[in-house]
Amino acid sequence: MNTSLVIETEGLTRRFGAVVALDSLTIRIEPGITGLVGANGAGKSTLLKILLGLVAPSSGTARVLDHEIDADRHAIRRLVGYMPEHDCLPPDMSATEFVTWLARCSGFPPAAARERAAEVLRHVGLFEERYRPMGGYSTGMAQRVKLAQALVHDPTLLILDEPTNGLDPAGRDDMLALIERTGREFGISVLVSSHLLGELERICDGIVLIDNGRLIRAERLGVLTGVTSTLIVEIDGDSDSFARALAGMGMHASVDRQAVLVTVPDATDAQGERAAFDAVRDVAVLQCAAILRMERRRGHLEDLFDVAS
Amino acid sequence: MTQPVPTPGLAVDPMSDGSTIHDLGYRRYAGERVGAAGAWNALYVQSVRTMFGMGRPAKAKVIPILVIAATMLPALAILAAASASNGQVPLRYGQLIGGQLLLFVLFVAAQVPEVLSRDQQHQLLPLLFTRDVTRASYALARFGAIFSAVFIVALAPLLLLYVGEIGISKNPAATFRLMGDRIWPVLGQSTLSAFAMTGIGAALAAWTPRRAYATAAIFGTFLLLAAIATGLDDLAGVSRRTAELLDPIRAMGTMAMILFAEKTRGMELNPPPSVGVYVALTLGLGASGLLLLLWRMRRIRA
Repeated sequence: MNTSLVIETEGLTRRFGAVVALDSLTIRIEPGITGLVGANGAGKSTLLKILLGLVAPSSGTARVLDHEIDADRHAIRRLVGYMPEHDCLPPDMSATEFVTWLARCSGFPPAAARERAAEVLRHVGLFEERYRPMGGYSTGMAQRVKLAQALVHDPTLLILDEPTNGLDPAGRDDMLALIERTGREFGISVLVSSHLLGELERICDGIVLIDNGRLIRAERLGVLTGVTSTLIVEIDGDSDSFARALAGMGMHASVDRQAVLVTVPDATDAQGERAAFDAVRDVAVLQCAAILRMERRRGHLEDLFDVAS
Repeated sequence: MTQPVPTPGLAVDPMSDGSTIHDLGYRRYAGERVGAAGAWNALYVQSVRTMFGMGRPAKAKVIPILVIAATMLPALAILAAASASNGQVPLRYGQLIGGQLLLFVLFVAAQVPEVLSRDQQHQLLPLLFTRDVTRASYALARFGAIFSAVFIVALAPLLLLYVGEIGISKNPAATFRLMGDRIWPVLGQSTLSAFAMTGIGAALAAWTPRRAYATAAIFGTFLLLAAIATGLDDLAGVSRRTAELLDPIRAMGTMAMILFAEKTRGMELNPPPSVGVYVALTLGLGASGLLLLLWRMRRIRA
């Protein structure tokens, strides 16, 4: 299973009456952390639910961890953990009771279920609070419990539907760090959906972008966010005259807030990069400006949207 | 990317030299799994406990305790009276249980939604259906648990009466030989009435995601059927015995009288149909309820 794909779909289509939620979607997802991006209503949740066997596809096939979704549902259940988008915590149960019970519903013996529940709750950062009724939990704590219940049966693949929904920026960071740590340190593949590109680019190895139930792009993130042809230079001095001087040397340069953006003549060539570096150094010497920072700009996930739309 | 080999007992960063313990909170699990049978068992036990308010806040325990107390105390009182009068006061099983059926309905209306509606109200079904719980096994475990709980509650007063009657007699062994067979109507009445009430309660609760509405729907349905039956009897001139079959509470009461071979004056004047009709009615109600629940769980969007 190590070398094969985590998720594979072929012409996956789902209609709800006249609405086409998924339109012959064919994707391949490799192990690692993969982001599923799309606007609200793009079909993200429908795709996840089909992969989980909660919704049947109208046509097409899908394989999860080398198991057909319809024929091998029993095997998939053991290997996949699901964190839904919606609230799913009974307010008068404690997190410990809840996660223990769900572990037992995944076929764990009672003692092992209790032990696992305590472990995963500690892993997601819930300590003494876990004995209190969940009705009093903050959104951040509730999201952690939802992640814990997805992890409790030790899945090979985690499917997370909008795990950062409703969280404040600090809570988002914590949740993303937790997801990243779970994915990287324990070798659990993660498929995480979000309508916010920016947060996924921090943790994902790959991105699948869908819109209106159709695949727009699926890429490894390195391709998307690799170095670009732009050199960012920050100097201690007048950026405008610095840019003008560079332009005078035949470089393409512009000013973006306090930074000077220099276009590297031949982006793939080390010589082009050296030429650009040299030009920046020469201008800096001429203008007696100190160079504070100089780096190649990395691509951003937002660029993906520009390309797509 | 290759997957790291799970190291039992240690959560180790595969990138490091293997000696750093990063997190004691998460470990891979290599232990025993008991699979779908274990999941079924967990669901069943949790449902039975919920029916009696166990593992739930105090207010969920009120109705079960109230119903059990209100059905056991009259049985105790009758036993005490029989004991004091040296067996002169006859023990009327059918009459006793007939008067308690409404309390069992109260138990069903209050507790069945705790088991079935809450999962929909709090959107727990997707979590269960992605585990070792299928839609059908969910329905069967829940139904089985509700039936078990209602059966226990419906059986308790009759069993108390039965054991008590043997216990208070001068010669228990002889009495037991005499009335050993009476255990069958005791079990039959409890099983059939519990099955019928479970069927009605489970079907209604499964279609009503909000707990409070489900309780109202179950209690309301029983009361409405009783009202319709009375109306047909009084106004439309439908025969009393036919109309009664529409009202599960009265029908189960009459079934108890027949099973325990007791008679009221009304039954002498206007004999009820054979016991088979009532058995078929209760079995039909329970089975239709189970089928409706299974159908609902197959179709519900999780």
